[in-house]
Amino acid sequence: MASNRDWTWFYRLGSPRWFYETTGRWLPWLWTLTLLLLTTGLVWGLGYAPQDAKQGNSFRIIYLHVPVSFLALAGYYLMAIAGAIGLIWKMKLSYMVMKSAAPIGAALTFLALFTGAVWGKPTWGTYWVWDARITSMLILLFLYLGVLALQYAFHSQESGNKASAILALVGTVNIPIIYKSVDWWYTLHQPATIKLTSAPSMHIDMFQPLLMMIIALYCFYALALILFTRAEILQRERKAAWVCELALQADKVAAWEAEE
Amino acid sequence: MKFQFDSFQQMMEMAGHGPYVWTAVLVSLLVMGWLLVRPLQLHRANLKSIARQLRREQRRRGAGEEKQ
Repeated sequence: MASNRDWTWFYRLGSPRWFYETTGRWLPWLWTLTLLLLTTGLVWGLGYAPQDAKQGNSFRIIYLHVPVSFLALAGYYLMAIAGAIGLIWKMKLSYMVMKSAAPIGAALTFLALFTGAVWGKPTWGTYWVWDARITSMLILLFLYLGVLALQYAFHSQESGNKASAILALVGTVNIPIIYKSVDWWYTLHQPATIKLTSAPSMHIDMFQPLLMMIIALYCFYALALILFTRAEILQRERKAAWVCELALQADKVAAWEAEE
Repeated sequence: MKFQFDSFQQMMEMAGHGPYVWTAVLVSLLVMGWLLVRPLQLHRANLKSIARQLRREQRRRGAGEEKQ
């Protein structure tokens, strides 16, 4: 381990090796917590929560739709901030986090749109409408895919990082539009179910499992981000001595297992 | 708190909404599962390719020494 004497906490935070080793210790806990919360939340929401007076059972999709959409948006902030830190302080790890956030965000945004569509059919009578909320979410999906694509568009990793970070930052204007779209325009999409500033507009028996699913999705997001970032660290730091050592060790273990 | 459905079949049907709800659940679990499995695959593949490259370099170095 590197000694602390000439490292500030900030630079240590930016060290891929430190990140890799620390998250390695967290992973077993995070896996357990995530799977536990997801299972409990889903069973609770799908089986035990009372059905909605107006929408019947179709409202149960909320237990996936809302948490997944939350994280699709929060993940964009995280990606843009990671990009900004990379641009300002030239931190390698920060760019790796930015790149890792892109596929996760894209997948979650897709899920937000998909679960919204299958919820829309029984509720609004249509899978898709070009209204403000849904269209701005579609733009979010393209922003995520754009950030990811720019990573592979340049010969030098450096240029790809900068281009991705700039697109991510420019794209943040879309986020408040998504949040506010249900208030600014007349849309089919219902207003926010949960606001920080007021009591939830739903019954407590429906709200508790939703809260659990939101926490579960935060854990899931952290887990996925850490896993993607660790893989990316190995990829980009393959010349580093500690990575070589790790690879040789894994190779030896694989050889032993093959012999047995 | 009580379980809302009397039978497995009733839970699948959800009074007509079953296909929508279960499609949403199934697709979500598949996509989320991919988000956890994919990085693990990448992780292992990266370790393997690094080890392979190191062994190759080692062999090359060994061959070079023999010639001398």
